Amino acid sequence: MLIPRKVKYRKQHHPSLKGRAKGGTTVNFGEYGIQALESAYVTNRQIESARIAMTRHIRRGGKVWINIFPDRPLTKKPAETRMGSGKGSPEWWVAPVKPGRVMFELSGVPEPIAKEAMRRAMHKLPMKCKFVKREVEA
Amino acid sequence: MSEVRIAAEPRTEFGKGAARRARRAGKVPAVLYGHGTEPRHIHLPGHDLMLALKTPNVLLRVDGIEGKDNLALPKSVQRDPIKGFLEHVDLLVVKRGEKVAVEIPVNLTGEIAKGGVLNQELVQVEVLAEATHIPEGVEFDVDGLEVGAHVTAGDLKLPSGVELSTDAETILLTVAAERTEEEIEGEGAEAPTGEAADAEVAEAPAGEAE
Repeated sequence: MLIPRKVKYRKQHHPSLKGRAKGGTTVNFGEYGIQALESAYVTNRQIESARIAMTRHIRRGGKVWINIFPDRPLTKKPAETRMGSGKGSPEWWVAPVKPGRVMFELSGVPEPIAKEAMRRAMHKLPMKCKFVKREVEA
Repeated sequence: MSEVRIAAEPRTEFGKGAARRARRAGKVPAVLYGHGTEPRHIHLPGHDLMLALKTPNVLLRVDGIEGKDNLALPKSVQRDPIKGFLEHVDLLVVKRGEKVAVEIPVNLTGEIAKGGVLNQELVQVEVLAEATHIPEGVEFDVDGLEVGAHVTAGDLKLPSGVELSTDAETILLTVAAERTEEEIEGEGAEAPTGEAADAEVAEAPAGEAE
């Protein structure tokens, strides 16, 4: 599962989910992609689960790119704990994703297979997404 | 490539308010510059421009503004990342017979040998071509390419009058071996669950509350 090798601060503020993605909004590496339509925190488990759903469907051939990395920790206080006594302990690693961001890319498979593989992967993600294709323009 | 005529009107209002009003009216703010001329701010019809830009490196003849024979190439196209509508276009003035550096798409045809996976590293190559004769793309036949084969940009057969400006040694595509059943099973398996606090903490500055 994706996790940073080393972090400077173990507990961080919550990442912002306001606005739209300012980069990574086009398919750059593969032929097809999954684009986020809403903002959400995507955990490393969700990323892994989506990747597995995709690779299981395409079987052989094809290449998958993951364009997001869960480098922000979220903390949680234990259950039935009184308030106070400092911030809880790190519980999840998340990638803050904003609308427009292309999270996964795929190449080397026919379009119907790519579409189905990505549909399965989208079910593992916490936001509305859409299937996008690479566009060549000026 | 044939020219596409597009009717422009000069833009007098600037700023996000004016730009948004224009977009609501179905127009796209654009700027026309190049060849040492002053930049000209214009509005272009949104639907016509969208249709014209479906062709890569389309040659536009901009009518309705000062100067005759205003030929231009799209230099930069800004789109809404989600809806995909055009937000702004930069047009570069070109002259007939002038050579310009443009990126043209590489279209692959045929099928590689069985047991291989095609990795296309480069989807566009930069070429120098006459502004009025820019090829729509360059085709490359991958039929029968074996595992381990690689193709460089220099292997592309470009039309006459078109020169490659990308480094000829740049890898265009490679053919890798297909993954075996065991590799697929290994990849598909759930990775061991990692604790959230697994990441090593770099030496924190003194005074950081833990």
